[in-house]
Amino acid sequence: MKKKHTKGIEARKSRYGFMFVLPWLIGFVLFFFIPIIQSLVYSLSTVQVTGNGIATEFVGLEHYSYLIDRDPEYLKMLRTSVISFAYKLPLILVVSIVLSLVLNQKFKGRVFFRGLFFLPVIIATGVVMELVFKTIDSSSTALGVSDSITSNMFSIESIMESLDLPTQIATYIQTAVSSIFDLIWECGIQIILFIAGLQSIPASIYEASKVEGATKWEEFWFITFPQLGRITLLVAIFTMLEIFADNQNELMSSSYIKMSGGIYDESSAMLWMYFAIVAVIMGILVALYSKFLLKKWE
Amino acid sequence: MENVKMAQTATPALGTKRKKFRIRKASKKQFSKRFTRSRAGNVFYFSFLTLAGIFCLLPLIYSIVTSFKPLDEIMIFPPKFFVKRPTIANYIALPELLSGLEVSIDRYIFNSIFVGIVATFLFVAISSVAAFSLSKGKYSGRDFMFKIIQYALLFNSYTLALPQYIILTKLHVVDTYWAYILPHMASTMGIFLMKQYMDGYVSETFIEAGKIDGASYLRIFWTIVIPIIRPAMLTLTLFGFQAVWAYLPGTTVYTETVKTLPMITAQVTSAGVARTGSSMALTVLMMIPPIVIYLATQSGVTETMSSAGIKE
Repeated sequence: MKKKHTKGIEARKSRYGFMFVLPWLIGFVLFFFIPIIQSLVYSLSTVQVTGNGIATEFVGLEHYSYLIDRDPEYLKMLRTSVISFAYKLPLILVVSIVLSLVLNQKFKGRVFFRGLFFLPVIIATGVVMELVFKTIDSSSTALGVSDSITSNMFSIESIMESLDLPTQIATYIQTAVSSIFDLIWECGIQIILFIAGLQSIPASIYEASKVEGATKWEEFWFITFPQLGRITLLVAIFTMLEIFADNQNELMSSSYIKMSGGIYDESSAMLWMYFAIVAVIMGILVALYSKFLLKKWE
Repeated sequence: MENVKMAQTATPALGTKRKKFRIRKASKKQFSKRFTRSRAGNVFYFSFLTLAGIFCLLPLIYSIVTSFKPLDEIMIFPPKFFVKRPTIANYIALPELLSGLEVSIDRYIFNSIFVGIVATFLFVAISSVAAFSLSKGKYSGRDFMFKIIQYALLFNSYTLALPQYIILTKLHVVDTYWAYILPHMASTMGIFLMKQYMDGYVSETFIEAGKIDGASYLRIFWTIVIPIIRPAMLTLTLFGFQAVWAYLPGTTVYTETVKTLPMITAQVTSAGVARTGSSMALTVLMMIPPIVIYLATQSGVTETMSSAGIKE
């Protein structure tokens, strides 16, 4: 809105509208915006926690150049994190699209199953589930077994033994089961978003395609997928955020350990560099997607 | 609005795609196949979903089963999924394990519930009101603010831990209930979902009608908007409560009398393998409130999520 001479009611109303955001804005600035800037400043300085507060001294990009030049661990973690984007993102998208297509069919118990697939979202993000994973992990490493989640619940090897199957392939099955487990646990919100997207596609398009005699496969590629265009973008962005901020991410946890140990400057630099790289990758992917696919469909 | 646009643009798009369809004879058999699924299809869907669903339920069942295991069955190797001789000893041991030096367990439970309710209420109220302003208000900087919210979704709490602590210290609220409540007020997820929902479902004409009748913004919000955004409010209640309920405030709380259940759960768990049974029992109990709230708000969640993709 451009400023005009008509002050009075309109101006007062707009000020009134602004009042509604104010409580949130104060919280946001205090507990998000200032901390974010602060952490960026930390990454550019030496931080020392002294008895009467925190002393910072500006050193520029020193921590960043240290991480790149002299910390082989960091680059390794960075590479693993970026690679995990490359395979996790398409996998999660495909699995959640398939599951949402099935869940969008009409059958008895649909509501129950939809609730079931959202369950991980309810319990996984909290400390509660972290505790389950942690107890499982710590107890398993204490016993000297691999620290995968499922391996502690039951032993595939003994199941195979009782079924008279070769136990050599047990490790592969164990790995496969754990991966499927991890995958499905990361699809909760994505499935809901896709179901919502599927329901907003007008039924008339499908009826038209039926009359034309399209197969299910054609129906998916020429109607469902293009119509889901925007939702897919949203889900992809959401998934990238999820992978980025994953607690089990090595880089995240190692910087968190550093932070708990009182090293604030380097850990902030670790996170900021990671963040910058992820932001660039995300930007490129989103731009490519909107330029080539979304434009074509809309 | 976007929906209507999508429907309009979809039809010509289909027209261009139409050429690509192979024209084939639509026999009666094919038609019937497409409109009603065969029995085999049903069986396929069910077994597929059940198989995938088991993975979602597994940790839940596992923690319930383990919470009833006696110690020797927990330590067994290779691990067995099911319990042979169930016991409730793990649950009976809880009150004693959880009581601090001079604080009894009910104090922690009270703290958790009190903080959960207050923070969730404030979170839902502040997010809804702010989203109303961002969705329907007309002032400069509104779209810019929403852009910032979208970018802010990127950050997680690790990065913010120390600076937040400093601010809490400056506000003199460290070691009070506010240390739990205030950090959640900066959440952007709630305001994002709520704004999308309002864009999709709260029509401008309702607001205009209210204005013509001379209602104030607050009154419009209370009598017109709230009944419409009920599903989104339910969703925010779920997400808000779940976040607060599981929140570990780190170093900002250290007095026993203001600690909540997650903090002492962490203490019980860190005691070692011997406590696995009891910490599982506690985990099971801690899962109950979020699941109950989810069951109560479930209908709203799907509806709210469906609006998240309407724009952008």
